[in-house]
Amino acid sequence: MRTVMIVDDSVSMRQMVGYTLRQGGFEVIEAEHGQDALNKLAGATVDLILTDLNMPVMDGITLIQNVRKQPAMKSKPILMLTTEGLASKKEQGKAAGATGWIVKPFDPEKLLQTLAKVLP
Amino acid sequence: MNEGIQTQPREPGLTPAPEVPGEIAMDRLVVETELAGYLPHLSRMSKQLKETSQQIESSVVGVCNSFQGIAERAKQTVARTTGFLSQEGGKDSNTTSFESLIDNCSGTLVKILKTTEEASEISRRAIERIHQMDQASQLISAALLKLEQIARENRMLAMNARIEAAHAGIHGAGFGVVAVEVVSQTEKSQQVTAQVSELIKNLRALAGSTVDDLQRMNDRDRKRVEECRIEVDESLREMQATHSEMKSVLSGMTDAGAMLARDIGSAVRGLQFQDRTNQQIAHVAEDLDTMHAKLTTRLGPAAAAGIALDEGFAAYTMHEERRIAGIGGVESAAGEVELF
Repeated sequence: MRTVMIVDDSVSMRQMVGYTLRQGGFEVIEAEHGQDALNKLAGATVDLILTDLNMPVMDGITLIQNVRKQPAMKSKPILMLTTEGLASKKEQGKAAGATGWIVKPFDPEKLLQTLAKVLP
Repeated sequence: MNEGIQTQPREPGLTPAPEVPGEIAMDRLVVETELAGYLPHLSRMSKQLKETSQQIESSVVGVCNSFQGIAERAKQTVARTTGFLSQEGGKDSNTTSFESLIDNCSGTLVKILKTTEEASEISRRAIERIHQMDQASQLISAALLKLEQIARENRMLAMNARIEAAHAGIHGAGFGVVAVEVVSQTEKSQQVTAQVSELIKNLRALAGSTVDDLQRMNDRDRKRVEECRIEVDESLREMQATHSEMKSVLSGMTDAGAMLARDIGSAVRGLQFQDRTNQQIAHVAEDLDTMHAKLTTRLGPAAAAGIALDEGFAAYTMHEERRIAGIGGVESAAGEVELF
């Protein structure tokens, strides 16, 4: 079973994304901000990261930059899931190493389709 | 996100209050005092917005948890039914599938019918053999009649021989003795023939009643076999119809499950309004906190001495609003019922 890490400071968003992914047959690890995600990544094997942009402690862009430094996570897909849709922000995400950008609110079926596309 | 009220020091870029004439200074003091009176409302509004945001979020989390439960139960139900109806039976159970059960029942019933038919055939053959035995008995009876005829002729012959022996006088005396003996032997033979006839008669009567019994049994068995066949066919048809019905129900359940998943998907999409709303509320609350902090710094001593002005503000009628506003009093807890 593939494992997806959801990083979002909103409990309800984590619940909604978690519900969708579990229904799609994924194992889910939740983190409430970038630093929490980095801590949890240390002891886990993750196939994909789905992260929010604006979060306390550590934001999504910084998280991606840190994750990409880890050899095991260099080629793993990382998707941004955020209410932010500005092209300049997207460029920042792409430069940091994001694989894709999904603007909230997400469509559960489309989210699963996107995951299937980016997962090897 | 700001939590609560934070008093910030006067920002370096903030323009200092210019020197003004006395009348204007008085007006300004009045305005500042009034503004100071509204300051507590700013922090209250910010607090209220944050709590509302938290309440919305916890409601959405509750709804999501329910979705998870609904989806899991629907999945389990479909999986259990599928397992029950599938060829392999329940995945993790030792139970036989419904289809194999029908096949097994059908096989067993066919075997029972076959055995009953075989028993019926055996009794039919027994009847046939008894008929053959009866025919043989009839032949024996006919043979006995012939023997009886021969015996009668022998007696007649012996009687004539005795007459002839009497005519021959002393020379026929021996012949007469033989004739008497022949009569005696003939009588004995007739007695044996009569006994055999009687035995055959009894045997035929017995065979007749056995044939009747077997015939009745055979007729009854054939009738029962036919009735059983009809009942078995009917039962198997009903079982198959029930199975088809269950399959169709299962198919309906699977469709309903898929629809449920789609509906939940739509609901999940709809519920994400809360994330945006929460962000907007957080931004408004943050601005209110900033406004409060800036005004507190700007108003200085007037803010500290200010009396809260409630004029023009909504009355706090809800428990939570009153709690945030710091209005005390004995109140019933949520969900509490009191009958008067």
